[in-house]
Amino acid sequence: MDLDRTTTALLAGLLDPSNAKAWEVFDQRYRPILVGFARNCGLKDHDAAELAQAAIVRFVEEYRDGRYDRERGRLGAWLVTIARYRMLDMRRRAGTARIERGESAMIDLDDEQSVSEVYEAQRRRAVLSEALADLKAHSRTDPKTIQAFEMLVYHSVPVATVASELGMTAHDVYLAKSRVAAKLREIVLRLENEYEEGPGDWASKGRRPSDGLGA
Amino acid sequence: MSDLSDDTQAMQLPAGCGKFPREALELAALARTDRDVPIDERLAPHLVMCKRCTEAIDRFAADNAFLGEFKAIPTPSSKSGALSRSRPGAGVAGTSDEVAGPIPGYSLGDEIHRGGQGAVYRAEQLATRRSCAVKMLLGGKFASDVQRVRFEREVEVVAALRHPSIVTLYESGISRSGEPWFAMELVDGERLDEYVRRLRLDARGIARLMQKVADAIAYAHRRGVIHRDLKPGNILVDREGVPRILDFGLARADAPDAGSSPGSGTTLVGEFLGTFAYAAPEQLSGDPTAIDSRCDLYAIGVVFYECLTGRRPFDGAKSIGELVIQKTMRTPERPSALVPGIDRDFDVITLRLLAADAANRYDTADALAEDLARALDGRPILAREDSRIYVLRRNLRRHWIATSAAAIVLATIVASSVALAVAYANADRARARAESQLDAVLKALEESNPETGDGTSAMLATEFIAYVEKSLEAALASEPTDLARLLRSVGLIHLGFGNLPDAATAIERAYAIESDAYSRGEIDAIAMSDSAYAVARVRFRMPQAGPDFAGSERAYREAIELRESVTGPEDLHTIDLIRQLSSTLRRQKKLEEAESTLRGAMARSAGLPPSRERAIFDAAALNASAGLASDRGELQLALVEYQRALETLRPHVEPNNFRVGVGLLNIARTKMQLDQWESALPDAEESWRILRERKGDRDEATSRAANLVSEIKRVVGDRATVGTDGARRSEPR
Repeated sequence: MDLDRTTTALLAGLLDPSNAKAWEVFDQRYRPILVGFARNCGLKDHDAAELAQAAIVRFVEEYRDGRYDRERGRLGAWLVTIARYRMLDMRRRAGTARIERGESAMIDLDDEQSVSEVYEAQRRRAVLSEALADLKAHSRTDPKTIQAFEMLVYHSVPVATVASELGMTAHDVYLAKSRVAAKLREIVLRLENEYEEGPGDWASKGRRPSDGLGA
Repeated sequence: MSDLSDDTQAMQLPAGCGKFPREALELAALARTDRDVPIDERLAPHLVMCKRCTEAIDRFAADNAFLGEFKAIPTPSSKSGALSRSRPGAGVAGTSDEVAGPIPGYSLGDEIHRGGQGAVYRAEQLATRRSCAVKMLLGGKFASDVQRVRFEREVEVVAALRHPSIVTLYESGISRSGEPWFAMELVDGERLDEYVRRLRLDARGIARLMQKVADAIAYAHRRGVIHRDLKPGNILVDREGVPRILDFGLARADAPDAGSSPGSGTTLVGEFLGTFAYAAPEQLSGDPTAIDSRCDLYAIGVVFYECLTGRRPFDGAKSIGELVIQKTMRTPERPSALVPGIDRDFDVITLRLLAADAANRYDTADALAEDLARALDGRPILAREDSRIYVLRRNLRRHWIATSAAAIVLATIVASSVALAVAYANADRARARAESQLDAVLKALEESNPETGDGTSAMLATEFIAYVEKSLEAALASEPTDLARLLRSVGLIHLGFGNLPDAATAIERAYAIESDAYSRGEIDAIAMSDSAYAVARVRFRMPQAGPDFAGSERAYREAIELRESVTGPEDLHTIDLIRQLSSTLRRQKKLEEAESTLRGAMARSAGLPPSRERAIFDAAALNASAGLASDRGELQLALVEYQRALETLRPHVEPNNFRVGVGLLNIARTKMQLDQWESALPDAEESWRILRERKGDRDEATSRAANLVSEIKRVVGDRATVGTDGARRSEPR
């Protein structure tokens, strides 16, 4: 595990306003998640980018003010709450017309559970995406093995076809699949540990972050 | 960053226990999520026992689920489209086929469906501008000969069928890249189950759809075509609400070597055809000769049941092995128990379709369509009221034993659990559990006995019994009284099937062990009486050294004395032993003693309340009395008594009970002796039919019936010839 990349290390770094590296890693990690999350909540690209920016800034401010206690909840849940209130606020300001046209009917912002699920799906995507990039960039995996895996998993090519086109046996193709699965599992586990954000869910601990309004 | 070679060593080890190739286990893992994936049918029974293979499949399935998550993640190579398989003929590098189109004369559109066997595309026939569906054999030119033969067969079969509920085939051929294809009618429809759910059809609406499906299947069956893979995904309901059956893709390939072309790989040799949830038990047995059109009726049953109740009849199975056992041993809950308000007729029809033994389903899809029509019209269905019980009971009892694979699996499970329980039988509770398991095995065994239970399939059942006997004997070596009980049960079943030498060996062994145990007070008088009774029965029938009637008589007397000491005189079972004792006396020509013994038994039974058992006893006693009358030469009296015996018996047993067969045999023989040949023939024939069905061809009574039939036919035939000649001569012309 890359200790500099753990959430604990990042949070420690964020307390120091001059630690550009921590800010950069934090931003790289959470901005894409927040953008994807906002899009899936029905925002247009531009609004999604704006929301991500506002939520990250807001989080760092609150964190530096000592208002985020890690023992009391996950970082992701804190971010979701900030982002959700922000979106509710945007919706209020935009009036109800757009909602009535159905444009933001994809997700019910009043339903905390489903909003959290949208965020969690984005976070998992980010982990998987990073894992895949990591697999290709760092491991010395036989390119053919990766190719077999991609044909099989991404393109649903039948095993017999994969085998024939790559000059492998069907057994080799299955083996390649298992190897890549094992390798990806290992990377995903490592990344999930890096993303580890503390126990529990703040909602059950009775404390909430600021509602994010009035930014 | 570690290298992948870390796990290379582990990967070299065989997946599972090594008995099945990795591919077979991988396919089984895929089949959990894709019902179209073919599975090696020999795997099912294996999995019930093999933890390592089950774990390997779990692991592969977990891998597949995990890797499936990555499908949603963009990857550089997928953006380039170089690997896209959205169209057939587009190779990894992309080829000029894309421009020309892989199939001459057609332009292919989107993929509509991809199954275990083929991919279906929306297409347009360029010459006619006609929309159609084009199906390509999955794996294309790389497919095995088996798949190719099957594909060609599919084309032939579908092309020959013309029915409003069967999707029409237009033409077929080989693509530029060597992949076989066919073009068929494009059906704009919805899967049957989704259609039913969306419209919230009630039972009658569903039944009307099933009636049309049954009609179409009946039409195909009349042309010798079995679908073998009916399921909701293969039945689309079109805009007019007409169900349309797709994919006669697994229709029976008549080529005898279709499943075993050399070098096609082990997974293909026994490649399982059909989809587990909808497959009939006989399809799961892996014996292609066991499969006939009635497997489609089973599948219709599953589909009907699923549409009615929203769940499959055996939804709870967690593994393939469990599913096999459930399908052969359990009767699903009545649909009306799950969804109140469903007509009982639909219960009867679905459960009849889901009978484990094909013989208990409808004979034809036409008969099913007819019954559905009757149920919808409110007329009585032909699967009669009493067959409700019949179907339920049959499913519960008789047929679990008739499917060999499941029976062997079951035997192994039961044997090993009994063995384990006995091995750890120190604690009282474990001991009690072991005993109850043994009881369950014995009870199950008894039900396979054609004389006391419902067993019919002599070969399978006796093989099964031999297997259980062998499995349990080792397990019970340290528990002689349990072993004796087992041997006795096994021996009686052998006896029931006329397998006399094995019966004698097992029963005499049991008797020796139990006599010893009784003298030490380890078993009670009733158990000892039962043991003696078994000996009496087997000695009565011993073939080789000739029946040992005197030995049988001694054993009967011992059994009676032991039993009477516990039950007193007014016990029907004891009285019946006395009746049987009279038969041994009769066989030893002690006719007077036989007569008085029989009268004594009949007098004792007169005071007992009426019951089914009582009626069966009365019938047996009347038969014995008739036999004695016959011995005295009073044939007319014998005939009357034989007929009275049969009348007494019939209301209490199934029409095909073996006792009915024996009764008819006695009547036919007596009529023959009375020179009533014509009226003897139907009795003899009926007797032969019943005995053959219930006791098999090898049975002594069956062969007596067979001989009687041929004898009567010869005599009647001779007379008919004479009679006809006479008549012809007397005609005016």
